Amino acid sequence: MLEISELRKRFGGGPGASEGKVALDGISFAVRPGEMFGFVGANGAGKTTTMRIVMGVLQADSGSVSWEDRPLAYDDRRRFGYMPEERGLYQKMRVGEQIEYFGRLHGLGQQAAKKATDDLLERLGLTERRGDAVQTLSLGNQQRVQLAVALVHDPEVLVLDEPFSGLDPIAVDALATALQERCRSGVPVIFSSHQLELVERLCDSVGIVAAGRMVATGTVADLRAAESNTLRVVVRDPAPGWADGLPGAVTATDGKHVLLADGERDDQEILRRAMKAGHVEHFGVERPTLTEIFKEAVT
Amino acid sequence: MNGVMLVARREITTQIRTKAFVIGLLVTAVLVAAVSFAPTIMDRPDSYTLGTVNSQQLPLKAAAPDAEFTWRGFPDEAAAKQALLDGDVDAVLVDGTKVLTDGELGSELSVLLQSVNREVRLGAAGVSIPPLQMVSVGADTRYEAARTGIAVVLVLVLFMLLMGQVMMVAMGVVEEKSSRIVEILLSTLRPWQLLGGKIIGLGVLGLINLVTILAVGLVAAAASGLAADFPPGIPGLVAGVLLWFLLGYAFFATLGAALASLVSRQEEVGSVMTPLTMVIMLTYFVAFYATNDPTGTLATVVSYIPPFSSMVMPVRMAATEVPLWQAGVSMAGMVLAVLAVLGFGAKIYERAVLRTGARLKLGDVLRAR
Repeated sequence: MLEISELRKRFGGGPGASEGKVALDGISFAVRPGEMFGFVGANGAGKTTTMRIVMGVLQADSGSVSWEDRPLAYDDRRRFGYMPEERGLYQKMRVGEQIEYFGRLHGLGQQAAKKATDDLLERLGLTERRGDAVQTLSLGNQQRVQLAVALVHDPEVLVLDEPFSGLDPIAVDALATALQERCRSGVPVIFSSHQLELVERLCDSVGIVAAGRMVATGTVADLRAAESNTLRVVVRDPAPGWADGLPGAVTATDGKHVLLADGERDDQEILRRAMKAGHVEHFGVERPTLTEIFKEAVT
Repeated sequence: MNGVMLVARREITTQIRTKAFVIGLLVTAVLVAAVSFAPTIMDRPDSYTLGTVNSQQLPLKAAAPDAEFTWRGFPDEAAAKQALLDGDVDAVLVDGTKVLTDGELGSELSVLLQSVNREVRLGAAGVSIPPLQMVSVGADTRYEAARTGIAVVLVLVLFMLLMGQVMMVAMGVVEEKSSRIVEILLSTLRPWQLLGGKIIGLGVLGLINLVTILAVGLVAAAASGLAADFPPGIPGLVAGVLLWFLLGYAFFATLGAALASLVSRQEEVGSVMTPLTMVIMLTYFVAFYATNDPTGTLATVVSYIPPFSSMVMPVRMAATEVPLWQAGVSMAGMVLAVLAVLGFGAKIYERAVLRTGARLKLGDVLRAR
């Protein structure tokens, strides 16, 4: 399990200096093996800073990151896969050589690195581009190479900063499938994204950050359930005044009445009244989308 | 160490395949070969065409063995004059008593004609004069011209290679920093491994260049006959040059990497490197001056001061005889300077290379934790 606890980071100003910008103000969360963790938050909320601290390219002022119940060390990180926010590849290097190179840097032998590269290129549909310079590839294909660089050494943990940004829907699906495969084989995956529907679809858990704090965390279902308390009833052609005395407000359009009820209420009584009044088309507790939860959480 | 080697190997294999590297190597090889042949081609021995009218040919060749003489006989003065005016002959000896020319005759040829003529006449009269013996009491200056020539070529080669490779290191550092690839690299490598690998890899490429230049130069000099004028001790000089190049490169490349790590954009490399390029230029100027006056005070003093010594000392060694102890002391000083710079440069690089964005101030980086 990857555990991030109480990370704090301030930029600018020396140690002890009062000015400077607080980037992280005590971020904590955990990702279990085989769990896909979606990291959402507004720009500048602290997602990238957190990921950079996890990957050791930035030092936290305080707090800790632990992996399998020990403090995360340099040698552990070598077995992690990382995709930084701003894509980094050697533009003039050939695709295959580049992926192999990173495999070797992560400790693979020459043969193993070559084989892993061949497999990844095959899976990502880049086999024909193996000998081309990275700069000749389209943005989407460069992104695939970037993913291959993060995956080549069969990492134990994946940390991906905005892996889906700038991809077309087909490339998004390909990438999502690749991540789900890794996840199913027991690898914890953390990724950040602004595409909340995607996070909702892919992730087991979600963490919402705002101003350097984790404002909500948990499974998508839990978050939705916790936020939801509005009953929505749709009745077609009911008798007028059917909802008199019931809590909530009714809006009517084209003979369709929609009742939205918050707070204290007797759901069964409402259902009985609705069925008596007309044809019930919909009856259920409103599940807010992740987007609604997110907006609620960060404001 | 494995990481260092992987990084170094990547630098070498990606650079060596570029057109720029291959073409650069070919062009320098051709230039060096041309320089080695140039003196032989330009130092053509003097050659004269002389005519005779009713005269004996003079034994000029015996008096001036380096020059070439061609003789032509003419039936009469009129034919000889015409040949002179047409520029077919330089001078015509008539009746063994006068020399016809077209305008003023070169002093060298006229002195030669007069003295050989005198000698022949005196010899005919039974008077023989032993030639004057020449004895030098000064230093052995036989190789002076060759030494200066080698030193000048050496300065140019060392300067160009040093500047080129140091700039490559700086550009490489910024390339990795600006593309943020350094973040992925440093999640699996220590900063010193990345820096060390880059400096070693590009240094090997510099050495390949230098060895090619030296080898082509020596082979071409041997082929053109220029090597006959070379002073003894060339193998020692070559070894010294390679060593000094490595020391100078290690010094400047480490500082170049440290300075380059302060900026995040390729466009800023030039300006952040300015102080360093100025030092390299200054080293070059002093070294160039030393080719002219290798035994002067300036050259002697500066050849002990790192990093200037890295270029001035090999130039002094080429241009004149340098006692071994002097070269040793100078090299020890340079090695210490390189070690100091490695420690200092690696620290700056480590602290600055992950801080992308605006150009960092050296002082801030040093003060930071």
